[in-house]
Amino acid sequence: MTQILITMGVLGGINGLLALLLVIAEKFIANYGSCRITVNGEKIFEIQGGSSLLNSLKTQKIFLPSACGGRGTCAYCKCRVLDNGGTVLPTEAPLLTQDEIKNHVRLACQLKVKKDLAVEIPEELFNIQEFTAVVEKLEDLTSDIKLVRLQLKHPETIQFKPGQYVQLQNNPYEGVKETASRAYSIASPDSDSRVLELIIRLVPEGIVTTWVHQYLKAGDEVRFTGPMGDFALHEGEGEIVMVAGGSGMAPMVSLLNQLEKQKSKRKITYFFGAVKRSELFYEEVMKRFGERLVDFTFVPALSQPDPDDHWSGKTGLITRPLDEYLQTIDTSKVQGYLCGSPGMIRACIGVFSQRGVENDRIYYDPFS
Amino acid sequence: MKPTPEEERLMNNFLPGKISKDGFLGSDSRHIHDIIEEDMRILEALDVDRTYLADRLHFFIRRGREGLEMPVEEEGYRIEVHWQRGMLPCPFGEPGLHPKLMAFVTHSASGKTIRYSQLSVHLIRRHGFFGGKGSFFRLQPRELVHFFCDRAGLACAKDPETAD
Repeated sequence: MTQILITMGVLGGINGLLALLLVIAEKFIANYGSCRITVNGEKIFEIQGGSSLLNSLKTQKIFLPSACGGRGTCAYCKCRVLDNGGTVLPTEAPLLTQDEIKNHVRLACQLKVKKDLAVEIPEELFNIQEFTAVVEKLEDLTSDIKLVRLQLKHPETIQFKPGQYVQLQNNPYEGVKETASRAYSIASPDSDSRVLELIIRLVPEGIVTTWVHQYLKAGDEVRFTGPMGDFALHEGEGEIVMVAGGSGMAPMVSLLNQLEKQKSKRKITYFFGAVKRSELFYEEVMKRFGERLVDFTFVPALSQPDPDDHWSGKTGLITRPLDEYLQTIDTSKVQGYLCGSPGMIRACIGVFSQRGVENDRIYYDPFS
Repeated sequence: MKPTPEEERLMNNFLPGKISKDGFLGSDSRHIHDIIEEDMRILEALDVDRTYLADRLHFFIRRGREGLEMPVEEEGYRIEVHWQRGMLPCPFGEPGLHPKLMAFVTHSASGKTIRYSQLSVHLIRRHGFFGGKGSFFRLQPRELVHFFCDRAGLACAKDPETAD
């Protein structure tokens, strides 16, 4: 018995010693010291080595897009690493093309900064900032869609192009101990840079949307990064035909505000799809656009109205009224703007194409 | 056996708040490998391949998607697919993202409904993972087999488009 106890004690001691050695090794051997990151040949940052390039850039307020939280699965954080990047890691290789590998493109979330690096990042990403804001208002637009109005705190203003989005970060809440970020289009006009409005639909099991719908309160402080995205209004003379559904309303409202600000004389027709009357929202807002814009028509369509809805408007999938309408107009200069599920976007692109609207005049913001 | 650091990192992905609000394990305290093993044993006893089930689930998502959030009738089932903004990574760490598609498939005659996501199809097909017991997207393999195969007149033929 004594021998067993001694053996166990010795083994325990050896384990403890090994663990201590590992901690010491981690501290001294894996200490990469101070590393210098040169961005686009001009901006130079000193950072503590050992973190991923994605996180290291974040400490310098450079926010590369990332949808997977640095898990190396989304490949949104690609950037060129010109010096000292080393060989492509097995965790990166499946997400890089041969051309990208030749051009020194890497996944910033997988590449650990161990030496001085020279990296190249698209200029527009430097406009992305981290913001704190206070929830000014929360409003139920439908049973599962909320309007969130944020008063910016730091920085106090945001410059964005209508159509862009921000990545809202949840605060930890019941059972969810970490933060996650999700993209939401900006619904407010760019004329008031101190506030931001988002239209957020509850996603079953969604980390951020559940927080917004069930835990967020007026007065709470929130964080977000942005602005991001290239969905925007394009120059042109022809009619603007918009199509959206659900929270896809958000960027359309922002674009309509921009058109109003520009005192646009262009004809605008906006098709909005919902299943039932109770899922329609912002009808009053659309009415106001009708009064302020020179030639604006809002066409809501219900795919499955309840008998109690007493609906006399357009019915069927949104593609139907869109198709019927496009057949009645000259589409040679029409621009199409779409926001919604990729399925809806695909179906609507098909309708636009069939009715003579070329792909280079169709702009869209898919939910991806 | 003690999990490797890589395994531990992956196990983390299954917990609440990592990829989805409540995670993929529900109240199941078993190791992921044990969950998969038991479900595979059930399928083996029923002589059903998990690829077949993934094919059926994928087929209904594909048909439901055409409804643009409107219910679609197919083979005696009513399918509704909702597509939300954003993508989800695979908790097993495979490269790529999966659209946030959620399907509700109801067997019209019995009224029984199953719900699952596009990611569920991938997890079943590639990893044999049906979710931990009590988790939001858990599909019971035995019930799933009955849901698809015991229905009179339903051929158990595979969907030709199997990619998820």
